[in-house]
Amino acid sequence: MGRDRTWLLLLPALGLLVLLFLAPLAWFLARTLFIETAPAEVPALFADVLTARSMQVAALTTLWVSVLVTLATLVIGYPIAFYLANRRGWRAALVVFCVVVPYFTSVIVRTYALTVVLGRSGLINELLGASGLIGAPLALLYNTFGIVVGMTYVLLPYMVLTLYATMKAIDPNLLRAGRALGASPLYLFRRVYLPLSVPGIVSGSLIVLILALGFFITPALMGGPGDVTVAMLIERAIEILIDWPSAAVMSVVLLAATLILFAVYARVTDLRRMMGA
Amino acid sequence: MPKLSTTPTRRGLMVGSAALLAMPAVITNPARAATQLRVRTPGGSFDEIKRRTVYEPFLKETGIEIVPVPSTVGKLLAMYKAGQVEIDCIDTGNDANLMLEEAGALVPIDYGAFRYTKLEDVDPSLKLPYQVGSFVYAFVLCYRTDVFKPGSEPKSWAEFWDTNAFPGPRTLAGIESGAPNLEIALLADGVAMDKVYPVDIERALKSMGRIKSSVPKFWDTGALSAQMMADKEAVLGVLWNTRAQASIDGGAPLGIQWNQNQVLVQSYAIPKGAKAPEAALKFIDYSISEDVQKRWLAEYKAIPVNTKVYPHTSKLLLDPASGTPWTVSKGFRNDITWWSANRTKVSRAWSNWVL
Amino acid sequence: MIGRDASVPGAVGLARARERAAAVTGPAGKALELQGLTKIYGSETVVDRFETRIEAGEFFSLLGPSGSGKTTTLMMVAGFASIDAGRLLVDGVDLAAVPPERRGFGMVFQNYAIFPHMDVFENVAFPLRARGMPKALVRERVAAALDLVQLRHLSDRYARQLSGGQQQRVAIARAIVFQPPVVLMDEPLGALDKNLRYDLQVEIKEIQRRLGMTVLYVTHDQEEAMNLSDRVAIMSRGRVEQIGAPRAVYERPVNAFTARFLGEANLLPGRIVTPGPGRIAFQLEDGAVLHADEAATRGAGTEGQLFVRPEKLTLNPSADPLRDGLNHLSGTVRRASFLGSVVRYAVETGSGALVTADAPNVAAHHHPEPGARVALAWSPADTVILPPDAA
Repeated sequence: MGRDRTWLLLLPALGLLVLLFLAPLAWFLARTLFIETAPAEVPALFADVLTARSMQVAALTTLWVSVLVTLATLVIGYPIAFYLANRRGWRAALVVFCVVVPYFTSVIVRTYALTVVLGRSGLINELLGASGLIGAPLALLYNTFGIVVGMTYVLLPYMVLTLYATMKAIDPNLLRAGRALGASPLYLFRRVYLPLSVPGIVSGSLIVLILALGFFITPALMGGPGDVTVAMLIERAIEILIDWPSAAVMSVVLLAATLILFAVYARVTDLRRMMGA
Repeated sequence: MPKLSTTPTRRGLMVGSAALLAMPAVITNPARAATQLRVRTPGGSFDEIKRRTVYEPFLKETGIEIVPVPSTVGKLLAMYKAGQVEIDCIDTGNDANLMLEEAGALVPIDYGAFRYTKLEDVDPSLKLPYQVGSFVYAFVLCYRTDVFKPGSEPKSWAEFWDTNAFPGPRTLAGIESGAPNLEIALLADGVAMDKVYPVDIERALKSMGRIKSSVPKFWDTGALSAQMMADKEAVLGVLWNTRAQASIDGGAPLGIQWNQNQVLVQSYAIPKGAKAPEAALKFIDYSISEDVQKRWLAEYKAIPVNTKVYPHTSKLLLDPASGTPWTVSKGFRNDITWWSANRTKVSRAWSNWVL
Repeated sequence: MIGRDASVPGAVGLARARERAAAVTGPAGKALELQGLTKIYGSETVVDRFETRIEAGEFFSLLGPSGSGKTTTLMMVAGFASIDAGRLLVDGVDLAAVPPERRGFGMVFQNYAIFPHMDVFENVAFPLRARGMPKALVRERVAAALDLVQLRHLSDRYARQLSGGQQQRVAIARAIVFQPPVVLMDEPLGALDKNLRYDLQVEIKEIQRRLGMTVLYVTHDQEEAMNLSDRVAIMSRGRVEQIGAPRAVYERPVNAFTARFLGEANLLPGRIVTPGPGRIAFQLEDGAVLHADEAATRGAGTEGQLFVRPEKLTLNPSADPLRDGLNHLSGTVRRASFLGSVVRYAVETGSGALVTADAPNVAAHHHPEPGARVALAWSPADTVILPPDAA
């Protein structure tokens, strides 16, 4: 029995992670929090940043928007994933293509494209206006609604693909058994399919939530004056105010929130494996 | 504006975490030919015009090739702090260069070495120890000509503020642009152009509050300001005249009103740690010389720093009444020193005001 | 069963369990009529005019190799596959347009199909809750069903905490808990090992008999089918080859396929010399004439094959005198295989054909060595003349 050396296969990925993420992160945090800031001032710095009203409001905004986006991707993504998991052929392939194709475009292009659709003179308002349904254009852009629409569009594939993987693993015999035993399709969905897809709902939601927390582009482009997220505050501290210590503190907070959610995610997927689902 | 880039591509750098900004710290410089000069530029059509009118003639003249590189203040600062400066010359807003100067990231300009430019031709206020003006532009009042017939547009910031006489959504520069339009808010509130500084932040924001409900979004990048006007997300806006003019040239139904314009400056600087500082200086010297500015600014609609070139400036930028650029006849100067000292205070006040 | 039950801590005694199980007994099973049931996929007829009436309370098995159409037949009955031609009747009512959940059948699958997110109790309660049964009644019925499969002590376990056999017993309890008139079982024991399979066969049979259920059972294991069934349908390539009681099908197959499928078979080609009814004389290719007792008349000269099961043959020393009224063949032992309860001999006859003969593993029996000359003898009553193999 030789020693298991398969971990060596991860070396290139590990190298990239260290080189492109961990090292710069360590450099940035060490420089701003330990070299440019006196050790004694660090607690005060944290207190200062965390008690600032702008930070607190931004944290709430970030969380609120992320939760809304998570719910929206779930509500929209669940039927899509259900369709994909239970259909085959060119129609399913087409849906997969439509879900995944936005991946091949940059987030900025996609977001700009949406502003064209949602704007005051955008497609939706023009159509509604022409049909006489509305008198004045609806405010679909530059508010929380706009952000949620934009982020939902960008993050939907993550939810769909995660749900799809879980649904695909649901044994079709269970559903047959359920129907054979007298369950109507609706009852079967409620008591069997939905509970069995819960691991996918949880993982998908956590992935989307984690990604949504760090979102910058879409809220910056599609949000209104009051829609400031933590990522936007970090950007402002770095680029506008050249206040790197504050940016470092906010980054640490955002990173911590992300890591906590990721730990939950890891635990959930672990449980899934234990359940054999 | 401290926001160096006017293209949205830089946002790619911000995705995820601030750590990405520090990336150049660990990526070593590739070796490059001695005849190349890496210049931070705003990119886009700005570079396109400059390539034809400045970079290519400069290559012919000196054998030095200009390589435009996108970057932000944060990235430049990160390069400097990490001791890995991969840029030889910075072409950006004078307020951003002031920030870099204050961070100790710039080397002084050696005016004694200038050969192409006659120093006396350059506006003295633009020849600073660590930066040299490249062109002059302004915050102007921009309006949709399909909403307000030219001549019936707002003629002052006070009128711009009058949402009854001039209804419709507006857009102004917000904090994310680096410098929200506090000065213009004061002018709208009745403060005289020469009494704007030091800015009364509270009064400015209070004035801003009167039109807040008519502002769907404060712009952060020049691109967004132009896009909002072009898409009719706003019918009135405070825009850079260069951006507004580019949109007009592109066919957008926009007009410019120069009254009470706020004068802004684009400038050159050389970062500490630049690999080719002499070539950088030569490039700066060359590009503000009389002939080059004449050639370049005939296409790019901005006001030259070389006063000799004023007569050749595009008619669009000249006040027919005085024959001088609108910035001289109707403008007031942006005070980057005040901004540098008060930006954090403004940011905090803005956050409280906007939320 | 008794031993296992007693060894379970806290398990109720068998007597009480049986008593409780009586509560599960509901209305007796119903008759199931398959009238020319047909399924076509593209150009292929996967089930071809299946015709039978399964009586109320009957245990009916579909037996055949994979691809023979037995599972498709079951799926048509269950409602998961549409019926392309023919009719399906339960007590005279046509089910073609009734969705699976309203057919009211119990169903057991090969891979158990236990809901992984529900414990044993909830799994068994599922059909009752789906029918909106009151809670108290659900508790009572589930307890009774679990007693019947002796799993009451495991009612709060989850599938992943159960053995394969236990999971299948849960599945059975779940299929019978709502007293269905018909229970469908799709190779329910296919995934279990041999000993466990036999134990469960006994259990299934006992439950079926006790509850009077009609069972339609799919398997490819002929011993299982014969052990459990009142009647068996042998299927091959979508067609029903033969339907009958296990013994009848085993002893008197109608063709070479069913003869071979149900067990070891000797098939010796030849032609009829004297037609029936009564005793038929049949001449093998090497000239030997053998006899079969048959009720049917077959024309003289008809080609066919003579069928006899190996255990019907007795193996005698070649010197023994021949006995009247029996078929005889002599030959040389080529191979002797020890199978435990029997020793299987391959005997080469005059024509060069190998005849298989099973001799019970008892000391009194003649057990020749390979190479020995032997005489084979068997009764015409154990002999059937089958048509030649279809090309």
